[in-house]
Amino acid sequence: MRTTEPLRIDAQRRRLIKAAAATVAVSAGSTLAFPALAQAKPFAGVKLRGAAYQHGFFNILRKYIPEFEAQTGMTVDLQLSAFPVYNQQADLELSSGGSAWDFCNVTFILAARWVAAGLLANLDDFSNDRKLTPASWNPDDFVKGAQLPYLDKAGKTFGYSWEGGAMLMGISRTDLMKKRGVEAPRTFDELMKVCEAVNGQDGGSGPVTGFVSSNLHHWFLPPYIQGYGGDLFVNPPTDIKPALDTPASIEATAFYTTLLSKYGPQGVLGYTEDQARAALISGRSNIFIHSSSWVTAMLTSPDSKVKDTARVMRMPAGPKGDFPASNSQGLGIPKNAKNKEAAWEFIKWTLSPELTARIVKDTGHPSICRRSVIESAEYKRINTVNGQDIGKLYLEVLDMPSKTHNYMAYRTVKEFPLIGDVVNKAVERVVSGQMPPAESMKSAQEAALGSLRRAGAKV
Amino acid sequence: MTSQRMLALRRRWPLARWAVPIILLVMLLPFLWLLQMSFKPTPLILEFPPRVFFTPTLEHYVGLWQAGFPESFVNSLITSIVSTVLALLLGIPAAYALSRWTGRGRFGLGLGILLTRMAPPIAFTIPFFLAYRWLGLLDTRTGLILIYMTFNLPLVIWMMQPFFDAVPESLEEAALMDGAGFPTVFFEIVMPMATAGIAATSILCFLYAWNDFFFALILTRTDARTAPVAVVNFMNYEGWEWGKIAAGGSLVMAPVLVFSMLVRRYLVSGLTAGAVKG
Repeated sequence: MRTTEPLRIDAQRRRLIKAAAATVAVSAGSTLAFPALAQAKPFAGVKLRGAAYQHGFFNILRKYIPEFEAQTGMTVDLQLSAFPVYNQQADLELSSGGSAWDFCNVTFILAARWVAAGLLANLDDFSNDRKLTPASWNPDDFVKGAQLPYLDKAGKTFGYSWEGGAMLMGISRTDLMKKRGVEAPRTFDELMKVCEAVNGQDGGSGPVTGFVSSNLHHWFLPPYIQGYGGDLFVNPPTDIKPALDTPASIEATAFYTTLLSKYGPQGVLGYTEDQARAALISGRSNIFIHSSSWVTAMLTSPDSKVKDTARVMRMPAGPKGDFPASNSQGLGIPKNAKNKEAAWEFIKWTLSPELTARIVKDTGHPSICRRSVIESAEYKRINTVNGQDIGKLYLEVLDMPSKTHNYMAYRTVKEFPLIGDVVNKAVERVVSGQMPPAESMKSAQEAALGSLRRAGAKV
Repeated sequence: MTSQRMLALRRRWPLARWAVPIILLVMLLPFLWLLQMSFKPTPLILEFPPRVFFTPTLEHYVGLWQAGFPESFVNSLITSIVSTVLALLLGIPAAYALSRWTGRGRFGLGLGILLTRMAPPIAFTIPFFLAYRWLGLLDTRTGLILIYMTFNLPLVIWMMQPFFDAVPESLEEAALMDGAGFPTVFFEIVMPMATAGIAATSILCFLYAWNDFFFALILTRTDARTAPVAVVNFMNYEGWEWGKIAAGGSLVMAPVLVFSMLVRRYLVSGLTAGAVKG
């Protein structure tokens, strides 16, 4: 018995020592583990605030954001507003040097002004830093044409494009065209002939109009002006003297306004993009030339009544060349953002090749700007509808401004919105019969010069 | 105009009897159009020519609910009601004081109070935006209530002053002689005589706050977004959700109509008080 006593005590002591050692080990391990965990989630606890306008892409992105939050430890507060509301709020927020947002949408029509005014952070500082961005992220993978609006004169990057728009031609009633013996138009002249041939034909539920468009004439008219050899400015972005009264501009205006007034539906001047799309997908109008997402609805929308007779193709070329418009929307970081590195982490993740490919695969969302994904077999498979490779057309047009010369430079002039308003009014004057094209464009030229001078531009 | 002359007029101008219904139809047409649009199935909304008869749907109202419109609606209600109450609480005593004040500078002070209503709201936008950002009032109901109250206060003072002017001071003096205290005089004699004015003023204040789009657009983001801004949020980049816009518009109009109907009697008498002398 006595001999067992020390043994028991010894065993107890050993257990005690083991327990103490284990406690020390666990506590030491845990103190070592915390920094390790913290290193794995360097942004733990950061609340990232961002804003953009309501778009299908962000609705999709929201489903993936919890993954990002789990990876980084951040929480993302993404505020979405309507396009005009967002632009109003963002303009005020950025131009007053606000720091409420860590990242924001860089709106195409405002990008030039925001970049020129230095309201955004230079993203090259992040994308060129290997500690922050792996080489595989590859900024050069973004379609160059889509990136142009977010570059300053020195070539620095202030935004990365998440959405692209490429002007394509939607034809809804190839059945009527066949009946009338006309082919899909490839030139301006042919476009006029096709509109004339189809206009007024019985489409089953009433007469069909040859052409339809919306009230965004500052977007629709320039490709015609360029197709006739002109531009909105003399040499944008360096020489921004308006060129609205040149023979090319007048000829293009006459052509475009003829399409609207002779072959457009009644009240076409008041048409919104929605109404124009509705006219197209219901087969009430034959041709609508607009960004891809608007015209491909003929093939993809459940409301489309023309899926069997619809065709999407490149817009016709003018006598002096082919200049379909393209645009994009970007993500950027406000200059005074509080969490720039965290914001970059979010942008980097959002626009990574991996997530972009996943979004395309999971949802079929087509208007992305990473070339490697657009050229992938998966993208081609998803975006080939009725045997038409929409993705190929989209990429061609999106990249065109970087191929020859940047003919979309007129949109990067920060005073463009002023000229856009003038152009809209000029077209309305002609279509409503108030003025002939030449007179209206001469008046537009004077108005544009006045607006630019009042805005402080030296013209 | 006597009834005999009215009859003669009707005989001479048969169209006169139709004038009121026609004018009424013209005035109500936009509202009725909006209302029918809110019950129209989406594919029929942009149909041309438009259909008058269709099977109504509640899809747009359900969509509004799902899109979080009720929160914006509640924001509008709270900011409008609270700012109206606050403006009345502060403005009525001020209007009474201005009415009873006989010193020099009364007109100048009154004019000074009205200055905030004279300038366009855009003139105050940037200062308010910057101040609110600094004070942390951006995107808060408190911020909206303060600004609506600020803009409604001159309206209350200027609208209520003539009503208090119309209350004979001799009544107040008699009550004071009978031993009533000032609060009793004010709340039991003066205020009941100005009920119509309070009703009319409160409606106008409520309408100003309820219908405001500009300040709500600039000073809110998501948390304090009001109904008018929420309606605009259905104008998406990829297309306008006409059905939801119509449903939201109809709902935004409803409280104003109900409120106006409830106090119509007071509103008419309040707005026309003092129009006829003698």
